[in-house]
Amino acid sequence: MYSPVKLWRNQKHTQILLGKKGVIVSWTIIRVPPEGFSNQAPYPVVVVRLENKEMITAQMVDWEESQCRIGQYVRVILRRISEPSSEGVIPYGLKVKPL
Amino acid sequence: MNIVISGIGITKFGELWDMSPRTLARQAGEAALHDAGLVSKDIDAIIVANMLSGMLGSQEHLGALFGEELGFLGKPAMKVEGACASGGLAVHTAINSLLGGQYKRIMVLGIEKMTDQKPERVASALIGAGTNEERLAGITFPGVYAVLARAHMEKFGTTQEQMAAVAVKNHFHASLNPLAQFHTLLSVEKVMRSACVADPLKLLDCSPISDGAAAVILSINKEPRMKDSVSVVASQVATDTLGVARRKNLTGLNATEIAAKKAYEDAGVSVADIRVAEVHDCFTIAEIFAMEDLGFFKKGKAAEAIMQGQTTLGVGKGVVVNTSGGLKGCGHPVGATGVKQIVEIAVQLRGSAGKRQVSGARIGLTHNVGGSGATCVVHILKRT
Amino acid sequence: MINLIGYGTYIPEYRIRLADIAHVWKKDADEIMSGLKVTEKSVPGVDEDAVTVAFEAAHSCMETSGVAPRDIDALFVGSESHPYAVNPTSTIVGEFLGMGHNYLAADMEFACKAGTAGIQVVAGLIGSGQIRYGMAIGADTAQSKPHDILEYTSACAGTAVLLGKTKGIAELLSFTSFTSDTPDFWRRDGIRYPSHAGRFTGEPAYFAHVMGASQRLLVQTKTKPKDFDYCVFHMPNGRFPREVAKRLGFTDEQLAPSLTVTSVGNPYSASSMLGFSAVLDSAKPESKIFMVSYGSGAGSDAFVWKTTRALLGVQKKRKKNKWCIGQQDDMKKYVGYVEYLKQTHKI
Repeated sequence: MYSPVKLWRNQKHTQILLGKKGVIVSWTIIRVPPEGFSNQAPYPVVVVRLENKEMITAQMVDWEESQCRIGQYVRVILRRISEPSSEGVIPYGLKVKPL
Repeated sequence: MNIVISGIGITKFGELWDMSPRTLARQAGEAALHDAGLVSKDIDAIIVANMLSGMLGSQEHLGALFGEELGFLGKPAMKVEGACASGGLAVHTAINSLLGGQYKRIMVLGIEKMTDQKPERVASALIGAGTNEERLAGITFPGVYAVLARAHMEKFGTTQEQMAAVAVKNHFHASLNPLAQFHTLLSVEKVMRSACVADPLKLLDCSPISDGAAAVILSINKEPRMKDSVSVVASQVATDTLGVARRKNLTGLNATEIAAKKAYEDAGVSVADIRVAEVHDCFTIAEIFAMEDLGFFKKGKAAEAIMQGQTTLGVGKGVVVNTSGGLKGCGHPVGATGVKQIVEIAVQLRGSAGKRQVSGARIGLTHNVGGSGATCVVHILKRT
Repeated sequence: MINLIGYGTYIPEYRIRLADIAHVWKKDADEIMSGLKVTEKSVPGVDEDAVTVAFEAAHSCMETSGVAPRDIDALFVGSESHPYAVNPTSTIVGEFLGMGHNYLAADMEFACKAGTAGIQVVAGLIGSGQIRYGMAIGADTAQSKPHDILEYTSACAGTAVLLGKTKGIAELLSFTSFTSDTPDFWRRDGIRYPSHAGRFTGEPAYFAHVMGASQRLLVQTKTKPKDFDYCVFHMPNGRFPREVAKRLGFTDEQLAPSLTVTSVGNPYSASSMLGFSAVLDSAKPESKIFMVSYGSGAGSDAFVWKTTRALLGVQKKRKKNKWCIGQQDDMKKYVGYVEYLKQTHKI
């Protein structure tokens, strides 16, 4: 279960990055997911250099194989990080979407 | 420095269903004492290396646990953790404790029990070595190294076949090591056909989930009964950003470069003097990175060299790498690996490696990495 | 005067063709599509919900409104699929928009008119001088039981509108509402799928309330249908809005630009607001728009808007960023029934 306090502390940083554009610096496609992510697999995880020079690691969604490439432009969006437990708080966070 | 390795002990690595952590510890610890011709009262302190006992076994406080288990009741005991570099860090800590003068003989026990939980649970625990951001991205450890592999492939044209060759070599070496997890031989085709775990890494590019323990006894003075001894002549640690996103570059591990450089300097040797090495091949790409970062090959050249057999036992003319089978072939019980590497090099330098002996090896190196390269520990050992 | 300062829309890129749903249940696809006058509907990604959809719509609205998030004094999010029974969607959206702490927030529920109810509340707060800017959002990741008729239309989208005192892209000339207690469609607490009363959802429900609110507003504004350039009605399917427009005396040409239901389906609380946005995407300045929502339970909110010259600037910006509703067709990806079940968490 995600800690609601931890999620709350992360909100400010998440808010600053939402909507920012960036470029993929490296990538992989996760086919054997960790716990909590099985309903989303397979999915790409990408390292992105954002327009403000910050570097982030995030899941890429609404994707096609051809967009898993170094140099692909993406935008930071808000999504559910993973399926929450039935009683736990819902984890919202950053993902990226190809431009 | 000149820290004597007075005793070594190791268990089989693999899926050891009926061996509890206490059983593994006793096996490795008692073997080390026996090898050293010592008894527990001769040891001044025990340092334990482990990463996952809390997350997978709900057990912390390992210094006290194994201190009691191994007959060191009352003696100083503690745990050192640095993800997969825990073993190397524990050795480094023991060495510095000896140099500090408070202790004369320290046992370092590296131990990990990973098969009591499902692989999915273990994979989730292992990404505890990364950043919170990486965990929220849903990445796994294969995924992190896959990202590094992709960057290396983009910059140097490294191929998946070249990466596969690392696994083939290490399985060949492992087949000569009775205590290794795997004794099956691989081929590049077999590795290429295995299921994709995180593009471009496939199942057989990845080290397994394993149980195992390894112990070394380190002494500040040469033991009187030992005629031929092996010593640690350099012990260096370096760190880098916890997550891969903020690294200066994704095509090498800077922590390895820094630690290695300082180790060669301390030991007064150059990379060309190293005849045998145990490097951290948690994934095939990691060995390629290591060979370049440690200075054995120029950047972008290691993959082809490995594929040509230049680091294979009986084939290459220079350094022979991962005669134990490496993490891929021998197994990777996380906390034990760094200590196992010391054991393997000690065995090589003593000349008692049997079928996997590198002839005439006098200087060896161990390379132990934590996480995706946030911690690196390099030791240089010499036969004295 | 209460003004529309900006608007934002979000439709997930996935679509499923009604024919593919009909095929699974061995129904006649043509019969269903001509009966509902819908060809395909939007499907959320597996990690999307009313919160994320509301956020994206609101974020898009902020990008074209020229107002800073911290200056918004009220936020109401209306939905039938709020992810929490207790814990407001609006505060999560507000936090991620960077709205700060100086605002009023509350979630709304009134079936498909929860979003438009929020518009009237915000209008009241502005009109009374209590706030300067307020945002109302309608967003849903609508659920429906497999094999039920609703499966062909329940869709996903979000629309945000920002209102304020200052001059904007349209004026809210007048509004009213029409309400009764009518159990045509409902969902019990803790129960996953909504239930409905079949044909009872037609005349006594949708038509009675849309007609009721429309007639009340026409009287209130002393206007006739021919005085308007566009009309928008809640779209549970393609048939009902066409029928109610005809009954009231509106033409096909007045209604056509608003019919997002044809290729998006019914995104519940976002439906009429999405249709309104589609009209705004192409309307000329000084156009009069007649807009009526419908929420089961039941009620209708009715509005008269008049566009200004400033709308052209927003249209341009939306077009440039590929946010216009018409442009979403270029980005859609079709999924099959199995993916649809996965993405809507049925398997």
